[in-house]
Amino acid sequence: MGDLELKNITIGYGNTPVIRDFSLTVENGQMASLLGPSGAGKTTVLRAVAGLLQPRSGAIIIDGRPANGLPPEKRNAVMVFQKTLLFPFMNVEQNIGFGLQMQGRSTGEIRRRVEKILELTELTGLNRRKIHELSGGQQQRVSLARALVLKPAILLLDEPLSSLDATLRQHMRELIQDIQAQTRITTLFVTHDQAEALMMSQRVCLLLNGRIRQVGSPRELFYRPADPDVARFFGGCNFFEGRLKNGVYYSQYATVAAPGLSANGDRLTATIRPEDIRICADGNRGITGRVQKTSFEGTTTRIWVQCQDRVFVVLAPVTDLQAGQSVRLHLPPDKIRIFAAEN
Amino acid sequence: MAAAGVGIAVLLPFVSLVMWSLSSRWFYPQLWPRQWGLRAWQYVFSTAGPQILAALGQSVLVAATTAAISVAIGIPAGRALGLYDFRGKDLVSVVLILPVIVPPLCVTMGLHLWFIIMGLAGSFFGVVLVHLTFCLPYAVFVMWGIFSNYNPSYEEQARSLGASAWKVLVRVILPLTFPGIMVAGLFSFLLSWSQYLSTLIIGGGKVTTLPILLFALMGSGDRPVAAAVSIVFVAPALLALLFSARYLGGKGIAGIR
Repeated sequence: MGDLELKNITIGYGNTPVIRDFSLTVENGQMASLLGPSGAGKTTVLRAVAGLLQPRSGAIIIDGRPANGLPPEKRNAVMVFQKTLLFPFMNVEQNIGFGLQMQGRSTGEIRRRVEKILELTELTGLNRRKIHELSGGQQQRVSLARALVLKPAILLLDEPLSSLDATLRQHMRELIQDIQAQTRITTLFVTHDQAEALMMSQRVCLLLNGRIRQVGSPRELFYRPADPDVARFFGGCNFFEGRLKNGVYYSQYATVAAPGLSANGDRLTATIRPEDIRICADGNRGITGRVQKTSFEGTTTRIWVQCQDRVFVVLAPVTDLQAGQSVRLHLPPDKIRIFAAEN
Repeated sequence: MAAAGVGIAVLLPFVSLVMWSLSSRWFYPQLWPRQWGLRAWQYVFSTAGPQILAALGQSVLVAATTAAISVAIGIPAGRALGLYDFRGKDLVSVVLILPVIVPPLCVTMGLHLWFIIMGLAGSFFGVVLVHLTFCLPYAVFVMWGIFSNYNPSYEEQARSLGASAWKVLVRVILPLTFPGIMVAGLFSFLLSWSQYLSTLIIGGGKVTTLPILLFALMGSGDRPVAAAVSIVFVAPALLALLFSARYLGGKGIAGIR
């Protein structure tokens, strides 16, 4: 148990910095996720915390103690890699007990703690199994158990679920959440999957091109994205422009009262989530458009609607709309997010 | 069919060796020994027994030392060559293979002078050193191959789980590359075991390994005795091969990928 503090971290390979001026605090017992597209530098941050590479500048503070110079084995932070990396010459029990053995624990204590963690990770009875006899999901759980059994101050998870199929991944997400809630181990979780980040963590840190773009609760990032890039990353696809005048935002698609924004006459970008747009039956409200195409996605249908010079994407539960049909769209003002002036 | 063919090809020389060692009279146009007898084996076990035993011990000592040093150098060298790209990597591989390509006589003759100057000629360590010039390249090449298919993240995982650098070597790197280490060790052992020319020149008759003794016996013209000693000579090598045969296939190596 402990908190993790990263202060102004810069990390680079060769001459090009991969991570620039990165600061993040994960509080004791919290589950935070580092979210970003592949190549954003998420794993690099994790490796720096684990001690597998040295940042060029900045401070890493684990559980109140600076960890910059410490080798990986002396840090109270354990990393679980994307690949399970289970030692093929050891069985399940030996793999999980490896870290405890390195700490010089007694055989009895190791057996007791391994047994307990096997139960927690739903692996009871697989003690003597060889690694290649395990399924992908089981291997992933052994890999997780091997780190959890050490009760580290910080648990670092590097996309541990990316190799699993959808059903198994969902199950593992719930399992990790449950375990984290029980053990209260401070966890930093790396993922490129926005749904995974939103579901699993109390705090999300979005990393784009080596820089933090927004840190906050899942709801904040989802409903109040800091800029269009953040909105785009969370599946936002409807952007339009308008002007601010006396605290009211005017655009050709909607008029929104915007008391928080003071700038006058500025062109500002706004967005609305595709599921927030309403398709109206009556002919008075909203803006007119023509259905371009539709795409059935199971629980919802994605509809592209051409309205004046812009195409709006709408997610609606059920629809029998056909391409070419005329519709009216209503953009509820309270669902429209206006971004402050872009630089 | 194929297995039978391979079997015959492997066993045929041994059949004639065994026949030679058990014959007491066998002259030229005869296809079969005229008289059988155990004279050669009696000679090997009683008359020349202590001499052969001493040579056997010397051979084991030289080959085992050579193999141990080969592996000890082959692991870090193979790791560097397999995992990292660095300037001069091609040059290293050429230099490594050089003693294998150049006829051993040239290498040994060339080294002899320097070994005399350094006081290594005629010594046990000098013989081991000259054997290493032939064995080390094989050990390095085997370990190079092993480390080309090796995932160094295992080491990082172990470090993160609390293993020190030394523990990572003993508990992770060595077990992961164990099949390769066995193969490299076996190659080096067998290559050193069968060295004659280099042992003769550098050892100068003072380091009497089994091949040195064998050639002396063959020179004396006593074919049955030479055949019996030859069998004594191949037996340990065959044993070593049988013992480590399971590491030679791909199965043992596959696990580390």
